[in-house]
Parts: sequence; C-alpha cells; structure tokens
Amino acid sequence: MARSARDGSWRPGPVLVSLVVGGAAAVLVLYPIFYLIQASLSVGDPQARPPEAYGLDNYAGLPRYAHIFWNTVLVAVIATVFAIVLGFAMGWTLSRANVPGREALEQLMALPYYVTPLMGALAWSLIGSPSGGFLNHVWRALGGEGHLIDITTPYGIAWVMALFEGSVAFVMIGAVMKSMDPALEEASQVLGAGRFRTMLNITLPLVLPGVLGATIFVFAEMLGSFSAALVLGLPNRFYVVTTAMYQLVSQYPPRFPQAAAMGVSLFAVMFAMVYVYRRIISRGSYVTITGKAFRPRAMDVGRLRWILFAVCLVYLAIAVLLPVFTLLYASVQRLATVFPHLDNFTLANYVTALSLDAVRSALWNSLLLGCATSILGVLLMGFLSWLIYRSRLPGAGVIEYLLMFPQAVPRLVFAFGMLWAWLVFPIPIYGTLWLLLIAYLTVFLPLGVRTISGVMLQIDRTLEESAQMCGAGWGYRLRTVTMPLLRPGLIAAALLLFIASVRELGASILLMGPKAKVITPAIVESWFSTSTELTAAMALLQTLAVAVALALLFAVARRALRPVGE
Amino acid sequence: MTGSLAPETRRAASIDVKDLVVRYGTVTAVRGVSFSVAAGEHLTLLGPSGCGKTTTLRAIAGLEKPTAGEIRIDGAVVYESRSRVQVPPERRGLSMVFQSYAIWPHMTVFDNVAYGLRVRREPESTISERVGWALGLVQMGELAGRSASKLSGGQQQRVALARAFVFSPSVLLFDEPLSNLDAKLRAEMRIELKELQRQLGITSVYVTHDLEEALAISDRIIVMRNGVIEQIGTPGEIYDLPRSAFVADFVGSANLIRGRRRPELDGDGLIVLETPGGALIHGVAHGRRADPEAVFSVRTVHLQLSSKRPASARNVWPARVRSRVFQGDFTQYHLDWDGRRLVLRCVTSEPVAEGTELFLSVDPRHCVLLEEESPPVVGSPPP
Repeated sequence: MARSARDGSWRPGPVLVSLVVGGAAAVLVLYPIFYLIQASLSVGDPQARPPEAYGLDNYAGLPRYAHIFWNTVLVAVIATVFAIVLGFAMGWTLSRANVPGREALEQLMALPYYVTPLMGALAWSLIGSPSGGFLNHVWRALGGEGHLIDITTPYGIAWVMALFEGSVAFVMIGAVMKSMDPALEEASQVLGAGRFRTMLNITLPLVLPGVLGATIFVFAEMLGSFSAALVLGLPNRFYVVTTAMYQLVSQYPPRFPQAAAMGVSLFAVMFAMVYVYRRIISRGSYVTITGKAFRPRAMDVGRLRWILFAVCLVYLAIAVLLPVFTLLYASVQRLATVFPHLDNFTLANYVTALSLDAVRSALWNSLLLGCATSILGVLLMGFLSWLIYRSRLPGAGVIEYLLMFPQAVPRLVFAFGMLWAWLVFPIPIYGTLWLLLIAYLTVFLPLGVRTISGVMLQIDRTLEESAQMCGAGWGYRLRTVTMPLLRPGLIAAALLLFIASVRELGASILLMGPKAKVITPAIVESWFSTSTELTAAMALLQTLAVAVALALLFAVARRALRPVGE
Repeated sequence: MTGSLAPETRRAASIDVKDLVVRYGTVTAVRGVSFSVAAGEHLTLLGPSGCGKTTTLRAIAGLEKPTAGEIRIDGAVVYESRSRVQVPPERRGLSMVFQSYAIWPHMTVFDNVAYGLRVRREPESTISERVGWALGLVQMGELAGRSASKLSGGQQQRVALARAFVFSPSVLLFDEPLSNLDAKLRAEMRIELKELQRQLGITSVYVTHDLEEALAISDRIIVMRNGVIEQIGTPGEIYDLPRSAFVADFVGSANLIRGRRRPELDGDGLIVLETPGGALIHGVAHGRRADPEAVFSVRTVHLQLSSKRPASARNVWPARVRSRVFQGDFTQYHLDWDGRRLVLRCVTSEPVAEGTELFLSVDPRHCVLLEEESPPVVGSPPP
C-alpha cells in the first residue's frame, strides 16, 4: 500500500474500460441511426450506396402516405385507450381491493406479456377472420348473417395489441398504486370523506402522473408495433408505418429512401414521446413514492369483489388461454375448423415442422442466439448500468441518454438502419447470425440496462464504498461485491434477454439471411406461404422450446442464487 | 480484551486539512475548513445535519471529490486542488465505519472481516489469526461462520468495526456509526468504542450529531455549522466555554442572557452585565473581548433554585416557577425572571409547585461570556 502523492491523480483503469464499453455502446446505437438518416436523405438512385445526391424529396413525398400515418395513429390510440383502461382497472383491483387470491392473480397478470403479439395475432386470426374465423363459423352455424367480428379491421388489430400491452400497463400502473402511502387515503377518510370521494380527490390525483407516464410509454410502443399489424393487416392491404416500411423494403425494386424517411418520421415522434415520458418520471412528480415498500391495506369493496375477480379471470382467459388453446386446437387438425371431426385430428403438423430442416435449423439458431445474447448482453449491460449509476465518471449521463435511442426507435426501423450500416461494413457479417447478435444486443440495451439498474439502485452505495475503504481497487470491488450483490438482477436480465431475442420479429425479419434463419420470421413466412395448421404447430414449438430453456436456466439460476452460509 | 495479542500495528498517522471546499453544483457543503489531527488523536466533528461534517469526513476518505484545498495524511498529499492530485480512497491506507454499517450480506461474518486482508494478499494463516483477534475484540468470535444477513443491528455494527481495524489502517474514520442503534445499545457501544480506540491507538476522526457521544469518546471536538468551523477544543472547553451562541445552544442546553456592560462594577476577575430588566449578572470573560452589548451563556443545569435566600451576594434574584416538566432523571422548570423566560434543569427531588416564588442563583464561574455577537438564536432553549 504505497501512498505517494504522485500516483494516480485519476484512475486509469475504470476510465479506460468505460471509454471502451461506453464507446462501443455509442457506436452500436448511433451507427445505424446515422445510416437511417443518410438513407432518408438519398435522392439519387435508390439502390446506390453511398447516396449519389442528398435532398429532402423523400420527406416531401411523405404526404402521399398520409393514410398510413392516419392508420398508425388510429390503431395506436384505440389500443392505448383500451390497454390503459385495462391496466388501470386491474392495477387498482389487485393493489387496492380485497379481491380473493390477489397475490396469485398479480403473478398471473404477467402471462399475457409472454403470449407475444405475434402469437396473439395468429390465434385471433384463426378466431376472428371474417370468412374462416372460428367464432364467425359458430355465428353462421347459429343462423347469423355474414360475420360477427372482423379481426382484420383497425379495431381488431388494436384489440390484439391491447390484450398484450394491457399487461405492461398493469405492471406500470400497479407499481404506482402500490408505492402510494395508504396513510394519505386514510387521512382523507379520517377527516370524513367517503370512499368514493377519497378515490376522486386523493387517489386519482396522486396516481395521475404515473398513469400519464404509462399512457405515453404504451402509446409510443403501439406506434412502433409491427407483428399484429403485419399478420392481420397485410392480407387486407391495411398498412401502418412499420408494415409499410417492411413492404417498401421487401418489394421489388425496394424503395429504401422512402422507407427510411418514414422510419425517421416515426423515430422523431416516438423520441419526443419517450423524452416526455422520462421527464414525467424524473421530475419526481411521484410524491407518492417514498422509498418504503407499502403493502396497502385492501379496501373492502363488498360484493363487488367477486365481479372484479371475474373481470381479472376473463382478461386472463381471453389474453392467454384462448389464444394458446386456439393455436393448439388448430395445430392438431388437418384443416383448421371450429367443429371437431375425429378424422380431422392429426399430429402430422408437428412431424412436418420438426422434420423440416429449415424449421429445425431456425429453432436451433434462435436458441443459440438467445444464449449468446443473454450472456454477452448481461456483461455489456451490467457494466453499462454500473457506468451510468455508480461510477461517477464524466460522460455517464451521455451514455444514459444514448440508451434512450433504441427505446425510441421501433425495432424494425432500427433494423433498417443496421441493414444499411452493416452492408457497407468491411467485415462481411451481413446475412450471418453475427449481424443478428449485434442487432439484438443493440435493440435490447434499454431492456437489459433497465432490469439490472433496477436492482443496482437498491444496493446501498456504501456497500461498494466500504470495499473501497478496505483498499480494494475497482476491478476487485466489482468482482467481489458489486457483481455478487447484483446476481438476482443479472439473472433476471439474462432470462428476459433470452426470451426477447428468441421471439424478436421486427429486428430479425429484415436482417435474417437466407442461410441463417431464425424461428420467429420463419413462423411469419410460414403463415403467409404455407398452411395455418403448420404455422400454429411451429408457434407452439417455439413457445415450448423457450419454456424448456427457461426451466433449465431457472434451475441453474436457483442454485446460483442460494444465499451463502446455509 | 487484551491488547497483547494485537499484531504489530501500523504507526498512527496525522491528518492535515487546509482550506477545504466541497461544492455540489450550486450548493457549497464545506466552505474553507482547516484543522489538523495529531497521530493517535481522537477527533470528533460535531454538528447538526447539513453542517458539512460528513462531507468533510468523506473528503478525507477520498469518497468525495473536493472543489479546493489540500488534504495530507502523514505529511503525504492525498488531495490538492492546485496540482490536481487526487489519490483514490483505496490507496490512502485509511479505513471507515459507515452509518449503514455496509456489511456485505452475501458473505459470512468471517469473510466480511477478512476482506481488507485478502485485498492485501495476506497468507490465509495470517488472515484467520487476525480475523479471530479482531472478532474477539468486538466480542463476535462465536459468530464468525454466520451469514452476515442474519445479524442484528448491534452485531452488524461490531462486524463493521472489526472489518475496519483488522488490517491496521493508519487512520479510522467513523461516519455516525451508532446512530442506527437504539438508545441503550448506543450508550453501551459508546463505551466499548472508546476502550477499543484506546487499545488500538489509531488516529480516528469521528462524525456525529450526538453531543454525549462526542463528549464521551473524543480528545478534541470540532463543532461545525453551515460548512464552517464554529469552535475547536477539548470536550471540557467546548462544554464549559462555548465560543458562540450556536455552540452554547447546540452543545447541551443553555440560557443566553443579553445585557449592557457595566465596567465600573467589574472586579475579582468578573465582568458585569445589566439586563434590559435591570438585573445585574456577574460572569467570566476568559480573556475574551466584551462589547458594550454582550451575551452570557448559562447552562440550564448550573442554575439553582432555593426557597431561602442564599448567602452569596452575587447572582441571586427572585424568580417565579411558571411550569414544571418532569423528565425522569431530571426535572425541567420554566421560570419567569427579569421579564423573560429561563430554563432550569435539576435532579428530581422535592417538586416545586407551579406559581411558587423562589430565589434563583448561579455561580458567576458558570456565566460565560460569548466571544462574538452572534445573530439571535432562532427558537428558545429546548423544552
């Protein structure tokens, strides 16, 4: 322990590593965005790279697509309203009312999130397409005319998206409700206000900033959503911005500059919304959040509790059970139909799916990518979290700001930027799994950093400082104190990254090469080109594979999580 | 608890802080603080929350980057604003006990304490020997194998202490280490801490807002307020001779009595003030310069009540009991005297009824002239 006045007026270790990792994150994020913007300004030959001439013509031409922008806003607004109402009702019910089994219900509410919009869209297409939908079959069998529901309308697409996003809204709003000190409500009641009046005058204003934040967040997500609109809208030629971009890029000849201009416009709007969202969150309008964890006493709502209980169950049934069972039902039939015939049942679809080399390799590639993304991602994002929230190094704020970008850019749009960016990259990774790995690591940066930093912020800073006072340098500290304490967060992040990357559609569909397919785009391809029943089988196989992989990871994680000294 | 088992300890180091300034954005937490701690000395930074004491301590530790000034440990510069020297905390050879204890929940008690030794790559045999020694000193020997997450607050405190001194640092820093314990345990730990300090002989800097703690364990106390030093002195000096109204009031409860100087009545080494109500008070100046308008500080415990007029000719006045507050070990009286209120505390004996007229007296040695004309202290003495 040499103490000299000269040594280390500044620590070279962490600064250097931070520069490298922070710089890498910056490149990952900014490089594709640069190319996206460059492409949108290209006015020469649309295929030329780098562009022959620059101009704003592509933006000037956007009014031609006004109806597409209108569609996007329409679908997003309907879906947001529905998701927020759903999330608010469930959030209030499960954190405030004495509904039977609310702890268990609260856990189950995460399930719709795991039924992805893609699976939801496939299932609902089977249920509610105007001609062949199961529900419309039943309707006609009962003597109805035409069709009862049409899932391919904007309302139908919004419905599928809202069922999924309702779970997200529930988590966000429920957290706000739970963080509210119940004494604030009790004070109102003690002073003589009734239950309803308390709710109106106290509860609502207190949770309003949180609800507003959730609304903006969900709306931004809806604007950039892709799968449901693709599966349900494309056959009907109903486009939103993301599906229109996909169409412009995948048609022949592709119209990259127009697609890029569309993407940049969407990016600009969403960026503004995410910015507003973060302002709302960071301004600390959450007077309700005091850092203590409350378990608010449940309000006795009398007989209403059974109705609220039923509402929760119905939501779970419609958002989880119905889609899964529909896909299951369709996957074991030769020709999907609502009325069962014994000779119609078959396991051939599963046999086919498992015997197709393309499906097998796609599934394998996806699982491989999932593992790689979660391992590399946890290292990268864990370090970035530390850099942003703990290192106190200059520039940490800039990196936090940079990580906002992938959150504000729809993954399809981001992938579009990468498509251009990596095509000109000197190392030939285009069309390989490497490109997908880079794409996943980039688009999931906010997800991973958010998950890890949530745990990191709960770790008292003095736990690291005391290691420092014991003489431990930053690397030793990171290894012996920070990382072990972070383990739950790191494992959660690894699991989330795995699930997210195996199921990612928007980023994969543009970047996937013909020789390196992954499973989710393969499912969509199958939906449009082969049979419904085979697709259903593939979707379920994917879900099964994810579940098995998760169970394995979870078993490992449990062992790793066992506390010392026992 | 014997010191003979102690491995050779590092020589205690001195600390010099010069013109230290710490600024966060627009807030200046410490505004030009200078002091020195001699090798082996136990110094306490005392003050209300927000006075800059913890920031000063963290700046010495290296956990806070100062804005200006200079810090030397054992003569070696660890921070200097001009030459931009900033030695990182882990290379300053200090150690610290945190308010939150900062015990690592994922390690056993043994591993927690052994950490500093492992960092220094001591051989395992030395580690187990010294950890055993340290845990013995804090009476935690039996719990070495226990998971640190299963300790009570008091036990965590002891582990934090053992972890801090086991590797023989040259300086020990304490950041309000007892403030999270309940009152009874706090009083016990205070005594243990003092014994430990004396045994180890390490230089220590201790931060607290608790007066009793500061008086009990320090060789010297620095009273801080709003980022500057109000007074430096031994516990006795701080208590008996507060320099300012702030120190008088913060360090125990005191009555501040303002009056006009009457130099013609001075004598016997005493000076005399006349209150607005006309009462004459004799007190001591201790060489401090007295303005025509001056203030005496009189501790509430030094005032005395008696039903008969005391024999002394000085500092005896009539007073009336306005209210009485029974507080267990002592009783607090609020008196009407000279057109104002005085607070008096005495050991509970025969209670004096409210409204009684009595004689109030105070030894002139306990009326201490304050050095400077401080702005009037906000609020009255503690109830």
